[in-house]
Parts: sequence; structure tokens; C-alpha cells
Amino acid sequence: MSVSAQTTPYPLLPLLGRGLAAGGLAGLASGLFSLLLAEPLMDRAIRLEEQRSATEAAGHAGHAHSHAAEAEELFSRGTQHLGLVVTAVVAGMAIGVFFTVAYALVHRAAPPGDGRGWQRSMGVAGAGLLALSLLPALRYPANPPGVGDGGTVTERQALWLAALVIGVLGMVLAHQVHLRLGRSGRGLPVRQSAAAAAVVATLAALFLLPDNPDAVPVPATLLWDFRVLSLGAHLVLWGVLGALFAAPLPRRRPGSV
Amino acid sequence: MSPHTVGTASAPEAAAAHPATVRTRDWLLVAAAAIVALLALYAVFVDNGNLVSATGSYLHEFSHDGRHLFGAPCH
Repeated sequence: MSVSAQTTPYPLLPLLGRGLAAGGLAGLASGLFSLLLAEPLMDRAIRLEEQRSATEAAGHAGHAHSHAAEAEELFSRGTQHLGLVVTAVVAGMAIGVFFTVAYALVHRAAPPGDGRGWQRSMGVAGAGLLALSLLPALRYPANPPGVGDGGTVTERQALWLAALVIGVLGMVLAHQVHLRLGRSGRGLPVRQSAAAAAVVATLAALFLLPDNPDAVPVPATLLWDFRVLSLGAHLVLWGVLGALFAAPLPRRRPGSV
Repeated sequence: MSPHTVGTASAPEAAAAHPATVRTRDWLLVAAAAIVALLALYAVFVDNGNLVSATGSYLHEFSHDGRHLFGAPCH
């Protein structure tokens, strides 16, 4: 079993600590990005929703209890702004754990200290971005507050989770195809075309899932801006995670990070 | 977070002594962390009052903006 020790270039637990720290900081960066750029948009979307439900309530009296009013009862908008950053940090740390698992599995045979840590880390981050952010977002793009029927939330959650699972399976497939073709001596054009085909097949599988059943009654410009910022938040999360995971640490262990 | 990072200091010298058992222990710890991470993701992106709900979906409403922004379904 001493062979297995040699083929493990990195002790796993420091790698996990690195994943947690990089993930938490990436979540913080993404949360602050969103707090500055996306929150004004979300506040506007919620004001529009309140206006909409107010006119609706004037129409049919007795059905005035809107989602926004409900949210207002539990937490203020200020608390929900804080909640955004906390959510991003928690999600970032959790994603950092799975980033570590993926990194350790994919690069378990990599020789240590060959100076390719940055490429590996950004490669895993790019795969994560594609699998968990870009591909699912093409099928079920993010919607601002005011979109989303409480009656369909369980169904939409099932669809969204299915999209995430399909995204991850698709990336595993693309990676395996790329790896195995390489082992059988194929060149990069063949390997990369096959991996791209696997990604396209994943996208096709995503579009076999049923549509989001909800109407989207928000102005098109607001929707576009929100979705661009949503992708921006994903990009910041994966980009910072990949970069910090690869970042060299000062040798002093206690106190830092 | 700290319970995981505390254990890392002793890992290298232990790895030299018992590589196989240490590797198994490390993977078990990573698996435990992955379970906690899944629970955390469930709490912030999916839960609608099953985990903490005295009178409402506290987790849902606290993480409301994050759910919308990261594309998780929200009501």
C-alpha cells in the first residue's frame, strides 16, 4: 500500500482546508459583487411586484396576500441583503468541498510541484462553471423576485436539481471521453471535438426536461440585466475559487486565512 | 471549518507512518465534509420550512435573494 502514498501528491486534508477557505472567500466576493450590482435590481423587481399585486388585489379583493408582503413579514429587505452575502459564503464553502473532491479525484496521479497547479485548479473551476452554472442556466435561467409561483416551487426545484445532476454527469462524460481517447493515442482535435460533442449532448438532454411552468411578468430589460448579473455572480464565484485554490500560501500555517 | 483544519497539522508525519489508514481516514473526513456541504446547500437553496419553521420558511426567506440570484427556484 506504500504505492498509493506515492501516487497521492497532496495530503488530502490541507487540500480540503484550502477548498473551504477558497470557497468561502469566493462566496464572499460573489456575494459582495451581487450586493453592489444585483440588489438594486432585486429591490426594483420587488417594488414592481408589490405594485402588480396591489392592482390585482384591487381587482379581486380577498386575495391580497402576496409573496412580497409575506417576505416582508419575516425579514426586512436589509436582512435579506445580508442573507444574500451569507448564502453566497455558505454556498461557496460547500462548493469548495466538492471542488476539493473533484480536484483530488481528477488529479490524483499528478506529480507534485510541477508548476501546473494553476492550470489544474482553473480547469476544475471551468468544468464546475459549465456543469453547475452555465448549462443549467441555459435551461432554467435565473428569475428576479416577483417571478415564481409558490404552488409550483416543488416541481421547479425537482427540475432544477435534475438539471444540476445532468450538468455534472455531462462534465464527467466529457472528461472521460477526453481522457480515454488520449490514452488510446488520439490527438487533441479528436479529443476536444468528442468532449465538445458530449457537452452538446448534455445540453440536448437538458432540453428534454419540461419547461419552467411559471409566467415571467417582468420588464424585458430588467430580466436581461438580472440574468447577466446572475451569470456574473456565478463567474466571480468559480473564478475566485479556482484562483485562490491554486494560490501559494505563506509557510506560516497558524493565523493565515 | 476549524475542526477540519486543526487535524491537518498532524497529517504529514502520520502519513509517513501509516499511509493506507491515514488515506482512508482522510477520505472519510472528506466524505463527512461532503455530507455537511450537501446539507448546507439544501438549507440555503432548497429548504422551504422543513428544517427551521416555527411559523414560516425562515431559511427560505433569509436566503431569498441568494436563491433568486444563483438561479435556485423561489416562490
